Amino acid sequence: MTVTICIGSSCHLKGSREIIQKLQELVCQNHLEEKVDLNGSFCTGNCVKGVCVTVDGELFSLKPEDTETFFEEKVLGRLG
Amino acid sequence: MITNDATALRITHEVLYEVAKLAFSGELEEKRDELPFKMIPGPKAQFRCCIYKEREVIRQRIRLAEGKTPGNANNKNIVQVISSACEECPIARYVVTDNCQKCMGKACQQSCKFGAITMGRDRAYIDPSKCKECGKCSQACPYNAIADLMRPCKRSCPVDAISMEEETGIVKIDEKKCIQCGACIHSCPFGAIGARSFMVDIINLLRAGKRVVAMLAPATEGQFGPDITMSSWRTALKKLGFEDMVEVGLGGDLTAAAEAEEWAEAYKEGKKMTTSCCPAFVNMIKQHFPQLLENMSTTVSPMCAVSRMLKAKDPEIITVFIGPCIAKKSETLDLNIEGNADYALTFGEIRAMFRAKGVQLLPEPNDTQQASIFGKRFGNGGGVTAAVLECLKESGEDADGIKVMQCDGAAECRKALLLLKAGRLPADFIEGMACVGGCVGGPSRHKKEQEAKKDRDKLIGEADARQVHENLKLNVDLESFSMHRKH
Repeated sequence: MTVTICIGSSCHLKGSREIIQKLQELVCQNHLEEKVDLNGSFCTGNCVKGVCVTVDGELFSLKPEDTETFFEEKVLGRLG
Repeated sequence: MITNDATALRITHEVLYEVAKLAFSGELEEKRDELPFKMIPGPKAQFRCCIYKEREVIRQRIRLAEGKTPGNANNKNIVQVISSACEECPIARYVVTDNCQKCMGKACQQSCKFGAITMGRDRAYIDPSKCKECGKCSQACPYNAIADLMRPCKRSCPVDAISMEEETGIVKIDEKKCIQCGACIHSCPFGAIGARSFMVDIINLLRAGKRVVAMLAPATEGQFGPDITMSSWRTALKKLGFEDMVEVGLGGDLTAAAEAEEWAEAYKEGKKMTTSCCPAFVNMIKQHFPQLLENMSTTVSPMCAVSRMLKAKDPEIITVFIGPCIAKKSETLDLNIEGNADYALTFGEIRAMFRAKGVQLLPEPNDTQQASIFGKRFGNGGGVTAAVLECLKESGEDADGIKVMQCDGAAECRKALLLLKAGRLPADFIEGMACVGGCVGGPSRHKKEQEAKKDRDKLIGEADARQVHENLKLNVDLESFSMHRKH
């Protein structure tokens, strides 16, 4: 599973780095290093929806405080 | 520096400069669309068929400077084709030239296994639909009359990632194969390949008052003349709004020390290993030799080491690498590595930022040394090996018997990895450097290695002879962060 987080300046200012750090921790805690590939992406022009996070191509709009719920639903949930 | 692409480089730089200027003044959104008209006022075209094409090329270059893909298609590659700039050079690779004497020998015809060569009125003719591009005819001709017109971009690619769109003849890059080394960018005489940039993002973060620390590549010393020291860079970068600058040579010391421990252990076990500091080499292993991943050192790159060191002290810091490397941009996008640099810039991009703010690199005596000579030499071919062997020696390990295959450039890297894969590597370790000469030969270098060598030797010669471990004791809290990554 590929999870892509926008690291453009707009998303950065909305907290993308916090989201990245949380996701890195969560992947590590759940021992999913082999299953989840975390990638950064250049700005894709969806700044109003920032922070832009995609899971296998599907776009989600995320706030740092929503990261854990997102991880449970969209990452753990999908991995089954 | 004589290059293939001086004119294209000048235009690329002008675009970066204009975009940087608008980004610094906060007018990019508003004035972006006017830029192609400002830069190509017309009415006469300078390089291309017409001003409309020239403006389209500028428009696509602006998109690249902003980190977007030049066209509308979205993909993740750093290296991108500027489709409007691609001149669709001839597809037929082997062409018979005027040198052909239509001789009696006809070695060309005999050598062709595909029946592609016939005799025309004045010279031999190669039927492109039958030619398989094996090159036998070109080798066979006693007059050197058959030219190999392989596109320069395709020729430059070490991993065969470049091909042509069947219908249009425009170049395309296979994302799955491309290792982001950037060799093709400067091979194209039309400047039709470029790299996406984080420049505008970094300018925006500086303008937002974020605390950004620059990390300067070990390959930098000597690139900008004999008097531009690390202190010169620190001063100029602070004027630009960076909080501070740290030499990545220090990361070279860190990486060498950690890798020495790995090598010592692997050597005892008889396990062969490769370095992991060159991002294009790492990409080559990941994409082309995934079965060798377990042979790759888990030590992080010097860039990542310095970034982790800085973030361990102050988690709020944004770290930006500056150097001659394109592939570093792909390393920053790999978020499986924690604490790595947030962004990477090339020398060309930082120069555009300097120019946009009227900042100059000025001669200044160096006042702090952050790296040992070994760390500073990390950016030279063989530099990693020298630093790791030095560390082994400093720790009292017996390093005399260790054999290292130093791969100078991506082609040599590929050969060595093929040997390792086949179990026939005649060495214990591989030093992989995707650019010929090491980082100093990187695609975004300012000067060629030979042109910069004298100045580089002079500047590095001014550093004291401290040992690697001694330097680490002086400059780093080694307990505060990890030097390894998961595969």
